[in-house]
Amino acid sequence: MEAENPLLDDYVLSLARTERPRVCFLPSASGDADHYVVRFYRAFEASRCRPSHVSLFRRDGVPMDVRAHLLAQDVIYVGGGSVLSLLGVWSAHGIDLILREAWESGVILCGVSAGSLCWFAEGITAFHGAARPFTGLGLLPWSNTVHYEAERGRGDEYRRRLAEGMCPGFAAEDGTALHFTGARLHRVVSSHPGARAFRMSRTSGRVVRRTLRAAYLGGDGANALPGRVADRGSPSLRVAPEPAAAAG
Amino acid sequence: MSPAGSRRRILALGGGGFTSSAEDWPLDELTASLTSRPTPRICLLPTASGDPEEQIRRFYAAFEPLGCELSHISLFRLGTHPVNLREHLLSRDVIYVGGGSLLNLLALWRVHGVDALLCEAWQLGVALCGVSAGSMCWFEAGVTRTYGRPSVASGLSLLRGSNSVHYGGDPVRRAAYRSAVAEGIPGGYAVEDGVALLFAGQELVDVVSSRPGARAYRVQLEGGALVERPLEAREIARPPGSPPSAPVSLVEFREAAQRRSRASRNSLRSIPPV
Repeated sequence: MEAENPLLDDYVLSLARTERPRVCFLPSASGDADHYVVRFYRAFEASRCRPSHVSLFRRDGVPMDVRAHLLAQDVIYVGGGSVLSLLGVWSAHGIDLILREAWESGVILCGVSAGSLCWFAEGITAFHGAARPFTGLGLLPWSNTVHYEAERGRGDEYRRRLAEGMCPGFAAEDGTALHFTGARLHRVVSSHPGARAFRMSRTSGRVVRRTLRAAYLGGDGANALPGRVADRGSPSLRVAPEPAAAAG
Repeated sequence: MSPAGSRRRILALGGGGFTSSAEDWPLDELTASLTSRPTPRICLLPTASGDPEEQIRRFYAAFEPLGCELSHISLFRLGTHPVNLREHLLSRDVIYVGGGSLLNLLALWRVHGVDALLCEAWQLGVALCGVSAGSMCWFEAGVTRTYGRPSVASGLSLLRGSNSVHYGGDPVRRAAYRSAVAEGIPGGYAVEDGVALLFAGQELVDVVSSRPGARAYRVQLEGGALVERPLEAREIARPPGSPPSAPVSLVEFREAAQRRSRASRNSLRSIPPV
């Protein structure tokens, strides 16, 4: 959902490997902001997928079976905003459990910014000012931070927490997406040439940062990327920080 | 009532007010009169609806003419508009909680620690006020319709008992509340749109209505039977079409207050894209 750059959106749709995949947007982290929902429907046009969204704030009076709806999707896309608010509201509605169920049954989970952080065991958020740790859904047994490099405070806090025992994980720059199959990082792709991600860990008391080269999706041969395509039916998940979204 | 109790005031609106109907402006005036300060400092918490711009705009439009110093806190936009929650909330005269989903409201407040701050504000004498979910949140329990189907959700329990809003206009909610009380949630207050309950401490001290015939009810179990008793409501509706009037000196005072309000609002009001 980057402005004028559909590369990551195209990539997500390609993972579904069906003609018009069902894509459901969860804008909870933004309080279901109307303009964000509109942006989703613009980015995921009905000509190439079957888009829908679930709002936990805007009630239209029609009872909806959220579980059945989410489990019937090919892709669930979680928008950016406040990861603390996101997890709080999901927990109140039992959405956290439904998403785990969806993931285990093969629905592709994806999201940007807060919608990236939420899948990990823990990480660093700077949405509310000073960078601070949070506890996520833990589908991925790693830590995560987004908007890396763009916001200095996150990186510093992330390193500090890693040194203190936060589990190893991944820092992603804007425009970079981490694609996981199960808990394993399958591929790193990007919508901007040169965008990077980093593997962060602690070895013998020192925080080590290893650069992960991202495959640029816009170049020649974008459809012939190296790497194995996720096995159909296996849990697949992709997370993509992008500059147009709010900080996670 | 104890002196400490009388300082703790909560105004609970069953529906209406600035978010829904222009005819309810007497309820907005009542809200502004919860404090004796000439320029009441009122802060809106639009959390229950996900901080929608429309609700925030209506709030400013309704309370600006009343000469109030206005602000709002969007928990979803703290990243771009950082606010010291404690400092800001405790320095208000009135905190107004907008409607929406009771379930979401409580979940978000807990995550951000706003539940404890509101309790502290209440104890310090900040008047708490709210409509719909913003009314039920002060009680032990309310009826939420987040998915369309009504279900019971718990509140902050500052006030004993339960609360159901939109009582006249929503038969499904009414039935759900009655059966919830019959099945064991604490009895409480069922309130129609346009009606407000004023509590001093735990004591209900006033029931007012801005719509002719609109009422509130005490709903409780008595000897195993559900009993619903109407509460005497004081009508504060004005004749249709009559504008709010104020002495010239007060009008001038309010104009000055509005200018100040605009200045303070600009720091909090603009809503950036997510």
